[in-house]
Amino acid sequence: MTAGAIAAEPLGVACPMDLGWRYASGAAMERFLAGLRERRIEALRCDGCGRRYLPPRPLCGDCRLPLDRWVPVAAAGTLEAWSVYRLPILDGRTGEPRPTPYGIGLVRLDGADTTINHLLAETDPGRLRIGLRVRAVWREELRGALDDILHFEVAR
Amino acid sequence: MRAGDRPAVAIAGVGQAGPVAADSRSIPEMVLAAVEEALADAAIGFDGVEAVVTASVDLFDGLTASNVAITEVVGAVMRPETRIAGDGLCAAIHGACELRAGACETVLAVAHGKASMAPHWALTEWAMDPVFLQPLGIDFLVCAGLQACALAQGDGGATERWAELAARRAAAGDAAIAPPRSAAEILASPVLASPLRRGMAAPLGDGACAVVLRAAAGGPGEAPVRIAGAGWDLEPHSPGERDLARWHGLERACARAGLDRTDPGLELAEPSCLFAHEEELFRAAAGIGEEAPLSPGGGLFAGTAPHVAGLSRLIACARAIRDGAARRALAHGAWGPAGQAHAVAVLEAW
Repeated sequence: MTAGAIAAEPLGVACPMDLGWRYASGAAMERFLAGLRERRIEALRCDGCGRRYLPPRPLCGDCRLPLDRWVPVAAAGTLEAWSVYRLPILDGRTGEPRPTPYGIGLVRLDGADTTINHLLAETDPGRLRIGLRVRAVWREELRGALDDILHFEVAR
Repeated sequence: MRAGDRPAVAIAGVGQAGPVAADSRSIPEMVLAAVEEALADAAIGFDGVEAVVTASVDLFDGLTASNVAITEVVGAVMRPETRIAGDGLCAAIHGACELRAGACETVLAVAHGKASMAPHWALTEWAMDPVFLQPLGIDFLVCAGLQACALAQGDGGATERWAELAARRAAAGDAAIAPPRSAAEILASPVLASPLRRGMAAPLGDGACAVVLRAAAGGPGEAPVRIAGAGWDLEPHSPGERDLARWHGLERACARAGLDRTDPGLELAEPSCLFAHEEELFRAAAGIGEEAPLSPGGGLFAGTAPHVAGLSRLIACARAIRDGAARRALAHGAWGPAGQAHAVAVLEAW
């Protein structure tokens, strides 16, 4: 047998991992999430360049200035990029595969200068395009979490 | 790395957040506090930083590329950043290499760790070899127990000595995380991995450290502390391939730093010893006797955060030199199971 040749099917070693981490959301994200409970969306505006960050960041990376000026943002905006996903990816919150297909989009909400990632109600690629107007669909019982917005739907 | 005709490396500013048992802030908030303190200490703003080296570990942060969370707060947007998956002292040493290579004139080195996020020792099992070691339930704590066992071989008084040492170190610290305990209490504390008991382990918590390094033409006035030598070294990953009763990697790291085994000029040593028995391994490998003060502030027994330890030791040395308590000091960082990897830096007054 030459070096490196495999005589038989290699034996596998299963290493299931069951790990958990507890993340502090940070003051800016805490206020953002608390706002969702009241259907309020806020961005942080940089005093240097004027860029309105959503989701809010603690610091403007370009100007290297701490951010603390909150500005209101609408629950509707413009689709900047989209994809319809068909692989059964794990839902981080449930550990279960997410039902497919699902739409995912980058949405620039009116009043923000960056886009947010969120789910799209529309899963037909033929009905999605960049520039479409979309609006948030809120969960009935709000709890101050990212999925207080269930998804964005096309405003027709 | 030794001083020569290349630019000298000055420690221009230092900053720390924590350590505390559990910091309610997010990782970026905690890191920003340390960075802002270091920048203020160096009397510069973010614009004065040309390059960044960070130290963090994906597994401990619970995300791959653990530096993505801190890009903005270390000023790394539109700048060269290097990430070290090892102890923070190695981040400072890599930053010093950038300066000595002439790549830039000011580097920010940052390390963070948040042990409160997840059970730390349980996580370390997943840093072990997955085919032979993980299935046996071997983590860093088990490796420390095996190392302590090897060190105590034929030494009947070892555990009592370690308990006394841990009690002395904890009493010297400011008890940020765990209250000091007597040697008797430590010997009665629960066994973690025999022969190690809970009180023989430094308390782990949350913290961040930041250091501003500057290329200096030389001479006092520019900065009071310089890095006179530095080195790092690895041992094999598997504890079974090593002489566990010695830190050979540290011996070689010290040699790389240009440190003689019995350096008469060393006036302070700040080792990263997470367990009391490691201090004996450190003394033997670095050739530190009783003449030079070692961890006068309690070392890691005052509380520490994973992979921040070595950079916190560099800061302790730099502060001692600034305060006039020492003119030449040795900072040490270690990571991996049972001291697999070591980094050292020799700091001198200018």
